[in-house]
Amino acid sequence: MKPLSNLLPILFFAAMAVLPLMGGDYYLGIGFQLLMWIALTQSWVLLSGFTGYISLGHAVFYGLGGYLTVLTWYIVPLPLAIPLSGLAAALFAGLIGYPVMRVRGPYFVILTFGLAELVKYIVINVEAALGKFGRLMMGAPGLSTLYGVMLALAVAATLLVVLVGRSRFGAGLRAIREDEPAAETVGVPTARYKLAAYALSAAIPGMVGGLVALRTSYFEPQQIFSPTLSFTVVTMAMIGGSDRARGPIMGALFLVLLSELLWANLAELYMIILGLLLIGFVLFAPSGIDGLLRRRFGR
Amino acid sequence: MDLLLSPQLLAAALIAGALYALVALGLNLIYGTMRLLNVAHGELVMVGSYVASWSFSLLGLGPWPALILSPVAAGLLGYGLYRGLFRRLLAKPALVQRIEANSLLLFFGVSIVLQNLVSLLFTATPRGYQPFGGAVVDLGFASVTGGRLLVLIVAGIVTVVAVLLLRFNTVGLAVKALIQNREAASLAGIDTEKLERWSFIAGFAVAGLAGALVSMVEQVSPFMGFPYMIAAFVIIILGGLGNLTGSLIGGLILGLLETYGVALTSPNYRSILVYGVFIAVLLIRPQGLLGRARIVR
Repeated sequence: MKPLSNLLPILFFAAMAVLPLMGGDYYLGIGFQLLMWIALTQSWVLLSGFTGYISLGHAVFYGLGGYLTVLTWYIVPLPLAIPLSGLAAALFAGLIGYPVMRVRGPYFVILTFGLAELVKYIVINVEAALGKFGRLMMGAPGLSTLYGVMLALAVAATLLVVLVGRSRFGAGLRAIREDEPAAETVGVPTARYKLAAYALSAAIPGMVGGLVALRTSYFEPQQIFSPTLSFTVVTMAMIGGSDRARGPIMGALFLVLLSELLWANLAELYMIILGLLLIGFVLFAPSGIDGLLRRRFGR
Repeated sequence: MDLLLSPQLLAAALIAGALYALVALGLNLIYGTMRLLNVAHGELVMVGSYVASWSFSLLGLGPWPALILSPVAAGLLGYGLYRGLFRRLLAKPALVQRIEANSLLLFFGVSIVLQNLVSLLFTATPRGYQPFGGAVVDLGFASVTGGRLLVLIVAGIVTVVAVLLLRFNTVGLAVKALIQNREAASLAGIDTEKLERWSFIAGFAVAGLAGALVSMVEQVSPFMGFPYMIAAFVIIILGGLGNLTGSLIGGLILGLLETYGVALTSPNYRSILVYGVFIAVLLIRPQGLLGRARIVR
């Protein structure tokens, strides 16, 4: 059973890789969305899944990455601008990470949320001072190019979760989640590990944000820093359930399909179902779809 | 300079502060007694506002009955949620182990369900009404509308009474004991489960009352709760999680800070100011300005 379940993410990404050959732009668009959410949720798991520090502010890295890509548009060539966006987001996380990761429990949750909102309002005011109210980006690459890059990011984020999960670093992060003082006592460098996890989890959303800004070819701070993104990521991770690679894939797949079915004409109903699912999963299946499958098929 | 000394501005700051303190009171009561962070708190304010707006516009009852109807409606909702969701959560050891994350997700689920249910049933169009026909009352040093004056009086009385109850009333002292130490409170003969249930309901009811007051000074819409939840978070960070007197003072600080900060700079900087203070306090004194430092190994 075990080898098969480990194969599933590989099969999934292989299917996503041949999608451009099969489907039209509509399916490619959904695929792009799906890969985006997978990349974001995996990067969230890297921090919050492993350490138990629940971040409600993932949008800040995504937004900053998008903003940097927009700012350097026409100035820096794209193959450089996207990695640069990821680097900037990671750098930002590294700079604020030390004091931020000292804050624990519910305080940490609202701190990350508040931080994302603060940065959002700063960007809004900077844009207003520059006299910009939304920016249009002409001549962005087509969907199939962006799709390929997003696929690479989703695979990279998934690999990162797998590799960190198997490493000494990952074991240290899990120890922090279970009991931080105890982890400290047995010699886990908790402050350094937490900072590293924070910066690492920021890099991918930074690049994803850049790609999404290109895809929509429009930049508006209210939209790209929207807290809904942070909330959705947490929901996907929860519904997927598991700090292994397949959890976020299943969570993202489930919600993206659901939103495709309902979003177009029943946006409110979709959100209501999302809320009910979240409640249902927390109460009745706290280990998510992954947990349900494992119970059904034994491991 | 004249602007800063204007009693009109002070009145505005006090009204905002009293309302914020009331919103934060309910949030802090639930956090203090049960250690649950209610991110759906703003939606309860919204529900209270809708009930008040209906009792005014549809039932033609005037502004007063809403002060009873809104808290009752929100309190009943609280009772339902406690029975339906949170008792289950607290009964499963596996879920209690990660109670912070789990309760947060539960409340978040409740929040999006409430927002979208109201939006689906009653449309997202903002609606408003004028209590007392928009009459302005002259207080001698400043003039305020009847609605704002009512906000100041009701929110002021309720928050002060709540703080006094915690000092001098037996049940209030029991709540205070529960906030300080659950096990010890239980050993001292306090029925903690019953008290938690009532604190949960009271927290919801206070949010409903705050909602009724909000509806008298601004428009009602399904997504109006968010800024109030944020304000309540800022306040309980200022005053300390679980410290109810702190949330009264925190509310006043935020009201003053916001009103004077905006008067000194520009309304565009309002959010930066609020979040900036919030984050600065969290990073420098995570236990709150008035919270007592807990010893961490």
